[in-house]
Amino acid sequence: MLKCDHCLLQFPERDAVYDEVNSVKKVFCCHGCQGVYLLINSEGLDEFYRRRREWTPGPVSSASVDLAAFTPNIRPLGSELETDIVLDGIRCASCVWLNERILMKTAGVTFARVNYATHRARIRWNPEKTGIQAILSRITSIGYTPKPFVATAFDEEQRKAQREMLLRFGTAGFLSMQLMLFSVALYAGYFQGMDVKIKNLFNIISLVLATPVMFYSGWPFLTGAIRGLRSFTFNMDFLIAAGAGSAYLYSIYEMTIGGEVYFDTAVMIITLILLGRYIESGAKRKASETIIRLLSLAPREARKLVARAEGGDADGKKILADRRMVSVSSIQRGDLIEVIPGEKIPLDGIVREGQSEIDEAMLTGESLPVAKRPGAEVFSGTVNLYGRFVYEVTRVGNDTVLASVIKAVEDAQTRRAPVQALADRMVSVFVPIVLFLSVFTAGYWIFRGGPVSVAVMNAVSVLVIACPCSLGLATPLAILIGTTYGASRGILMKGGDVIERAKNIDTVIFDKTGTITAGKPSLIDFHGIGRSDAEALRLAASLERFSEHSIGKAITSAEGSYAYEVVTAFSVLPGKGIRGFIAGKVAILGSREFVEREGIGRSMENGEVAFAASREAAGATVVYLAYDGDPAGIFAVSDPPRSEASEAVKTLKRRGIEIVMITGDAVATADAVAKTVGIERVQAKRSPVQKAEEIGKMRTGGKHCAMIGDGINDAPALVEAEVGIAIGRATDIALESADIVLMRSDLRLVPQALGLAKKTFSIIRQNLFWAFFYNAVAIPLAIAGVLHPIMAAAAMALSSLSVVGNSLRARVHR
Amino acid sequence: MTSMIILILISLSFGLAALFLFLWAVKSGQFDDVERPKYRMLDDDDDRDKDKNKEKNTKSET
Repeated sequence: MLKCDHCLLQFPERDAVYDEVNSVKKVFCCHGCQGVYLLINSEGLDEFYRRRREWTPGPVSSASVDLAAFTPNIRPLGSELETDIVLDGIRCASCVWLNERILMKTAGVTFARVNYATHRARIRWNPEKTGIQAILSRITSIGYTPKPFVATAFDEEQRKAQREMLLRFGTAGFLSMQLMLFSVALYAGYFQGMDVKIKNLFNIISLVLATPVMFYSGWPFLTGAIRGLRSFTFNMDFLIAAGAGSAYLYSIYEMTIGGEVYFDTAVMIITLILLGRYIESGAKRKASETIIRLLSLAPREARKLVARAEGGDADGKKILADRRMVSVSSIQRGDLIEVIPGEKIPLDGIVREGQSEIDEAMLTGESLPVAKRPGAEVFSGTVNLYGRFVYEVTRVGNDTVLASVIKAVEDAQTRRAPVQALADRMVSVFVPIVLFLSVFTAGYWIFRGGPVSVAVMNAVSVLVIACPCSLGLATPLAILIGTTYGASRGILMKGGDVIERAKNIDTVIFDKTGTITAGKPSLIDFHGIGRSDAEALRLAASLERFSEHSIGKAITSAEGSYAYEVVTAFSVLPGKGIRGFIAGKVAILGSREFVEREGIGRSMENGEVAFAASREAAGATVVYLAYDGDPAGIFAVSDPPRSEASEAVKTLKRRGIEIVMITGDAVATADAVAKTVGIERVQAKRSPVQKAEEIGKMRTGGKHCAMIGDGINDAPALVEAEVGIAIGRATDIALESADIVLMRSDLRLVPQALGLAKKTFSIIRQNLFWAFFYNAVAIPLAIAGVLHPIMAAAAMALSSLSVVGNSLRARVHR
Repeated sequence: MTSMIILILISLSFGLAALFLFLWAVKSGQFDDVERPKYRMLDDDDDRDKDKNKEKNTKSET
């Protein structure tokens, strides 16, 4: 096997395209990759190959770009034009670098900047020197797919909210730093005595600095509290507004009578809680993109056959027609669509003419391509591999299978949304208690016959003390540190609610293809008939060199000597096998039925059939080789489990977690794989929607499920499960649908991820304890009316420090 | 007393200057992509003229 210098793909030598670049010999898997390499090199950007790490761009796609979709997005900017597009295929910083450079080197482009987080490119160009078409083809020429950027109102709103939050937090941060300087001076003055004039000056400066924090930065809390009060609920916002607000008003009152001020407490509450919220929102930003990505799977244009005026043959055997590119939305049921190799199928339908093999892995999880002949059903979003065919559309719009998968993801996501943070739940208990205590304090002091002003002041100080500013940090900080630690070990968790849900997982469901197995078939067993094993393999590999089929690739890659025979008149019969001539004699490789009929003209011997049956029972696919009219060999190909799969399963079982395997594959294959890795419960032949339903059933049965998968076919199940885990080089949709993404294709990360979630959650709980602990001590003192302002400040600082210190423990591995 | 007021004014003006710098930075989109810049500094300026041109454009982006 050779490795392509552009896309790092492993490929058999027969496909190799050799070239000499800067007097260094390079090898490519196809002419597309060669073209891209030469282009990148000629632009002096070969630096790209040195800076990329593990990322593989994949073979160059030949998909056409729908130009019409981009034009509405172009806007004039002075004498230039500007547009935003989304670049598909960006995986790392090197991709961003490459795209920016290649665009900047395009004549007429004056500005190109790619946003690494959103994959969005902003391009500005001189319309006299270049056009959108040239720019787009420039991007496709290096292997990335430009997509029109559609700014949804929701998206725009979210971006605005994010920016506003940063402004509020930044303002609060800078002003409270300034305010702290004066507060420390005032505290010192409390002990050592202070000139009244200076004290008044400092008080006024503090008030001036605190006011914008209170009413600008704290505005969301104030409005949130009022909204809550209208519906008679005391929320977190109310506690913050009441705490900060009463500290602020109390300080103004104290100022007028020459007492001590609490402005620093008021601003610190707001600043720290804003910081917590800012950390939290950053992690959740990308969640809404899932459905947009799913929708982009289906092509927007299709090659429709329009009957010529004189019409085709009436019996429909041969369709004589013009091909016209039309937008998919205009296609009606009954229209005829032509699909060429490498294209995605736009809508569901039935094949009418031609035959091919189709990769349906994204819908069914079937790892081998499916043969399609006239009469067979094809599905939207799947990829046509080899042949050209024409099909009749039977389902359009929301009726396609892909649309039903999208709908399943949508449904599950909206159902999941109202996950309440743990802190919010505690607050809902805590706030009424504090309010009650505050009212109780006022009542107590009035009952004791004290002046009303003293009673009110003591009640307010209960409110001030009770507002735990470290509460706002307790959860986000632990999550930030826990997730950062996880990321450094290859475990990406999306948000804090994931940790909360992942901690009590008791059932783990694995997908088979691509998750437990590597998703790449390989030759596991073979033997020659009437000749040596090596001889049989050499014949088979020589023939299969010309096949794109995954079984063929498995056989070719097993043959290490590369001593291939010359093959002439090679042909592929989709779904059956391949045929060619070696040394003038016919060689046939394929299914038993095909080889018996075409190759040897009689049935296989019993010994061979038994060999095949035993391998098929173990989950392998068996193909036969016939040479010169005689059986010549038998080959078993299967997709074996990953080496670390059984270890991961064992670790999970030891923790008392139940393991289930769920797959779209056949029962025999599934059982065989499950047995090797030690999984007892297997559910085979499940469609993507059925997978999600099974998980739904388990959840109603009281189980806490985590789903681990990699394909689009797993997306609904990943969303339906309490915790969806996408593994390794999963498809974008799986990555978007999952809560946890494992960066390495290593199943041992699954128990590690669940363990990390458990630990982070226990740290959150401890944090909440520390956040409340100091307040619990201080509240009785406030009720008794003996609380020192200094003590209140110290309690605040101590509880914040405990929370920060405790959160850092999340980094230490168990 | 007077010297202290001057010092207070100096410290306040420093703080407020920092705040306005921050507000300007947010509004001009400096925080829109916080991932990419950390890699950008590793990029070589292979053709300086174009890069200078690019810098200029970035600033005028607001």
